[in-house]
Amino acid sequence: MIEVRHLQKSFGRVHALSGVSFAVPPGQVTGLLGSNGAGKSTTIRIITGYTSPDAGWVRVGGALASHDAMRVRRSIGYLPESAPTYGEMSVQSLLRFRASLQGLRGKARKAAVGRAIDTCVLGSVRRRRVGQLSKGYKQRVGLATAILHDPPVLVLDEPSNGLDPSQITETRSLIRRLAEGRTVLVSSHILPEIERTCDRVVILAQGRLCAEGDLKELLAGGEHELVAEARFATPASRAVALDAAKAIDGVQRVLPREMDGGVARWRVGFDPSTITEPELRHTLGALLAKAGAEVRLLERERVSLEHLFLKLMEQGPPSEPEAKPAEDAA
Amino acid sequence: MSSARVAWAIARREFASLFRVPVGWLVLALYAGLWGGMFVQFVLVPGAPATLRPLFATAAWLMLPIAPAISMRLVSDELRTGSYELVATSPASDFVLAMGKFLGAGLFLLAMLVGTLPLVGVLLVVSDPMPDVGPMLAGYLSVTLLGVLFLSVGLLASTLTASQTLSFLGAMMALFVWLLATTAGRSRAPEGVAEVLAMLAITDRLEGFAKGVIDTGDVAFFIVLTGWFVLAASVCLSVRRWS
Repeated sequence: MIEVRHLQKSFGRVHALSGVSFAVPPGQVTGLLGSNGAGKSTTIRIITGYTSPDAGWVRVGGALASHDAMRVRRSIGYLPESAPTYGEMSVQSLLRFRASLQGLRGKARKAAVGRAIDTCVLGSVRRRRVGQLSKGYKQRVGLATAILHDPPVLVLDEPSNGLDPSQITETRSLIRRLAEGRTVLVSSHILPEIERTCDRVVILAQGRLCAEGDLKELLAGGEHELVAEARFATPASRAVALDAAKAIDGVQRVLPREMDGGVARWRVGFDPSTITEPELRHTLGALLAKAGAEVRLLERERVSLEHLFLKLMEQGPPSEPEAKPAEDAA
Repeated sequence: MSSARVAWAIARREFASLFRVPVGWLVLALYAGLWGGMFVQFVLVPGAPATLRPLFATAAWLMLPIAPAISMRLVSDELRTGSYELVATSPASDFVLAMGKFLGAGLFLLAMLVGTLPLVGVLLVVSDPMPDVGPMLAGYLSVTLLGVLFLSVGLLASTLTASQTLSFLGAMMALFVWLLATTAGRSRAPEGVAEVLAMLAITDRLEGFAKGVIDTGDVAFFIVLTGWFVLAASVCLSVRRWS
């Protein structure tokens, strides 16, 4: 679990972060989004202990970064942007070195290096110099160094940066595998990647928090609405079904729209305290089947992350930063 | 104990990496060349006493470009490439990081000095009577102490910039000013300042070693100042986190 509260950081006159707060729950992959200069890298660097905030605090796995920096750093596996590393070293010797920095030695170090090589599929290049590897392999080496000490928290800054589509797919599945039982924070510019990889997102703009939450919830626009698309045999059966849908207990509204080929598209708003989404889906499905309709779609309406992101960027960050003292960390 | 192991891991990496880059081999060749030239010019003189004293007496000036060349990439290069982010986020204190870097450079210095030992062998073979070994040992001790002091200054310079060139020039200029101020500058300085400069004079202390005299005060001088500069380097690394 990562908790970030009221972070503030300035570089000269530039306010990189102005009261940013969010949480990264365990067992999930959380995406950190934002345009250039939004404060993503600064946030990540504060979480990993590379730099310190001017105000605010970070807690990782219950340990406060400002008070127990070593414990926090030990619990984090970090992949910086562009996976910078020592090009003159072989993959194996680099991993050994990184394992030593984590305090591993002897058999534990050997086992950790072997495990990381296996997990990141680096066996074929273990003796090659890192500087001679392709971008994709370098990125894998970076991931391998991040997971060497089996950290409960992974922080990955632009893990798909510069990779080709097949490498992106490999990296995505690797991150999903690594996420099992871990807290993972991924920063990326590639929104479709975040959409496919992450369970939650944190969106920053101009050093402020724009949005935070479950990705599906955010993409659903925070509204409780189902979208149903069905082809009806006759207009009469459609009208009957529409009335029946409006009469379902918990349904607040049904906004119908005619589409080509006799297909109707309904947006069904509901009160989740009266009827849950699965219950409504079941009831509505039964109702449409009874009306003899061919159901083409029955699910929560989703907008793309790109659409949401652009909308939030257009709106801009909240005008007032959260101003809270750092003392509440204790 | 864990910190010592981490420092040792960093030291071993630094030491090995200096042999993987051209600058390491250039430094080795340059130092061996300087010593070889001095050896032929001032030591292998027919009729002259068999001693390496001319080499040890000028060790400070010979080391002036060498130590900064070794130390310039210690932190600067990592800052430039971004790999410092990986090291700085590992569970090691800034002092351990600085100490590891310093030890790695120190090991390279020792390897460099080992490369000059064939000259001692030549001197022992061609000299009759045999040269006194005591002053030679004291001389090597002085060069080692001097070298690590200069490396610590270079390490400090390296923590201040991501440019290896600036790190090299900064360290060399600082050491040059130090040597110049405590030799030529001393005679022109006011009395109080001259006394301080005399205390900081490196060349004076090297002369004692070259004669075969190991003064514990001189040894302490080098060790304390080296420790101070390594500590200052670690403070600079910590300041980086806050800036």
